[in-house]
Amino acid sequence: MFDLVDGKAVWQGGREDYEKAAEAASACGHFRADCEEERIDDDVSCYNCRYRRWTRGSFVCMKGGNA
Amino acid sequence: MNLFICIDDTDDLDSIGTGELLENMRDAAAAQGLGEGGFIVRYQLLIDDAIPYTSHNSSMCCTFRTDDRDALTAFCRAYLETHCADGSDPGLCILTDDPAVDCAPLAAFGARAQTEVVTKRDAYDAAEAFGVDVSLSEHGGTGDGVIGALAGAGLRAGKAEGKIKGKLYPLPDRPVMTAEAFAALYGVGQIVDDAGQPLDPSTQLHFTEPTKALFRDGKVTCVVVREDGVLKPQPKRKKEKRHV
Repeated sequence: MFDLVDGKAVWQGGREDYEKAAEAASACGHFRADCEEERIDDDVSCYNCRYRRWTRGSFVCMKGGNA
Repeated sequence: MNLFICIDDTDDLDSIGTGELLENMRDAAAAQGLGEGGFIVRYQLLIDDAIPYTSHNSSMCCTFRTDDRDALTAFCRAYLETHCADGSDPGLCILTDDPAVDCAPLAAFGARAQTEVVTKRDAYDAAEAFGVDVSLSEHGGTGDGVIGALAGAGLRAGKAEGKIKGKLYPLPDRPVMTAEAFAALYGVGQIVDDAGQPLDPSTQLHFTEPTKALFRDGKVTCVVVREDGVLKPQPKRKKEKRHV
């Protein structure tokens, strides 16, 4: 689900692969919900995790994409 | 006097977010008798690898009514010094909220920060050119937070659209009310449909799920959508699950 690019775990699914992002977060021991104003919804999803760092087209998992 | 208070780059991956920190600082200032704070607006700034943001590069701005600007400024500066995350790069902007002042130059700076990489030098130049009604201060690290702080204050002063922190929650015993009653109950300044058209005040709304308000046209704004044959404040709910 992640590509290693310059040592960073870059999510392969872009910004709208909600199903895969939910699956990944559900299987990840590092998931922690970000604050409300920074979440796209209230789902358990990499998109809502405080350890995702948004990029132009996707995000980087700051925990190394351990999911 | 009325002020805008905006902060940025106060957090790290494990600390409270900038919005919560501003909320806490605003409430602590009020508890100190320094005045009364208003709602917080979030502004999304540019996402770019050249910008060292923590995770989303947003800045947070609230209003504050005070009789003692100097005391409030000192309070906010001290608060940031002691409450920001270690290793963060906090910046603070305090700007006079005066409709008679043309804030277009600062709003333009804010718009730039949403679309291009701007530097700390750019921020100080913009603040200096604007004049005495704006103050910038750094509170640790690189101090790069002054960029987002000035941008957020400029955007708020220029009435740019942003998201209001927090949600509006329905009352279990009052799921249906007119748009006029909804606006009065929740302090909403305008209610529009998803095409941006204002609703007639007598329109019936079904409010059964929490909704997010926007800051649009300088007003607290609620967007309503038609679902199941009724109009309801747009729920913040799970995104439709699909693969790309």
